[in-house]
Amino acid sequence: MDWTSSTERATRRPPIPVKIVIAGGFGVGKTTAVGAISEIDVLTTEAAMTEVAAEIDRTGHTPDKTLTTVALDFGRITIDAEIKLYLFGTPGQDRFGFMWHDLTEGALGALVIVDTRRLDDCYPAVDYFEKIGLPFVVAVNMFDGKLDHELNDVRWALAVGEKTPLITVDARSRRSVRDALVAVLHQALTKAGAR
Amino acid sequence: MVDPARVPPYLLTGGRARPVDENLAIEAQVFTTLAGRADIPILQFEVRDIVAACDDEPLAVVEVASKLGLHLGVARVLVGDLVASGHLMVQRPPIDPSRRVEIIERVIRGLDQLD
Repeated sequence: MDWTSSTERATRRPPIPVKIVIAGGFGVGKTTAVGAISEIDVLTTEAAMTEVAAEIDRTGHTPDKTLTTVALDFGRITIDAEIKLYLFGTPGQDRFGFMWHDLTEGALGALVIVDTRRLDDCYPAVDYFEKIGLPFVVAVNMFDGKLDHELNDVRWALAVGEKTPLITVDARSRRSVRDALVAVLHQALTKAGAR
Repeated sequence: MVDPARVPPYLLTGGRARPVDENLAIEAQVFTTLAGRADIPILQFEVRDIVAACDDEPLAVVEVASKLGLHLGVARVLVGDLVASGHLMVQRPPIDPSRRVEIIERVIRGLDQLD
């Protein structure tokens, strides 16, 4: 698209950016899910500068241990002439909690991807989304097309209420990820309508 | 060219860790103003790269960071500065709750049309 003509710029409607957060433990398929549906290759940015610099401000020197960064993966889907949907994959653990405010602020909703062999990994994300009232759906990633647990067992283990949808997803499949995102958006609609 | 990954983040931002615009969402769309385009030849380093990148097409703050190999926090600080100086304009995510339902429905329709 040619964005360089100023007359065209004057008539073009500004883009509307929206986002959905995809949370889950390491290796659970977040980046795979983003990549399965993104129209661009999954991009990565480092996102721990605030913490690092805050430490430097306080001490006046650079302690090595604070120079850790976390990779934030993201993708994009152009929805129509105006709306751009961004998908952010974020680690679900507590120690990345400093990023969650930026990630969830204004988000339409979240998809929590769960590996039934490591349910613990997603507790902090579920807790956080419940606390801030962000609509979310829990999706159990089907590795090799099979479930290790019954969905009801997963619901029980995670202690998520009946109002939170629990679905399965194949993170490698574009259609499956699409359906999971649509489930998140329906949850968001329900919540928006209930207000 | 210096590998940006090897430059301490605080050197790029004059030691500041917080953006001038605390509410600058990471998905906010940034694009170059005509004044910004006119200044590209006289701007330097990362700031010039940002203004040039956003002149081609609107980019999310997080895309600016990724494209230029900057830490996300650094990109937010620099973009905030460039908006304040009139080189960039920013289009924020919609916050109007009444707009939200319409937008969610449009996103659902858009996703439904994917193969």
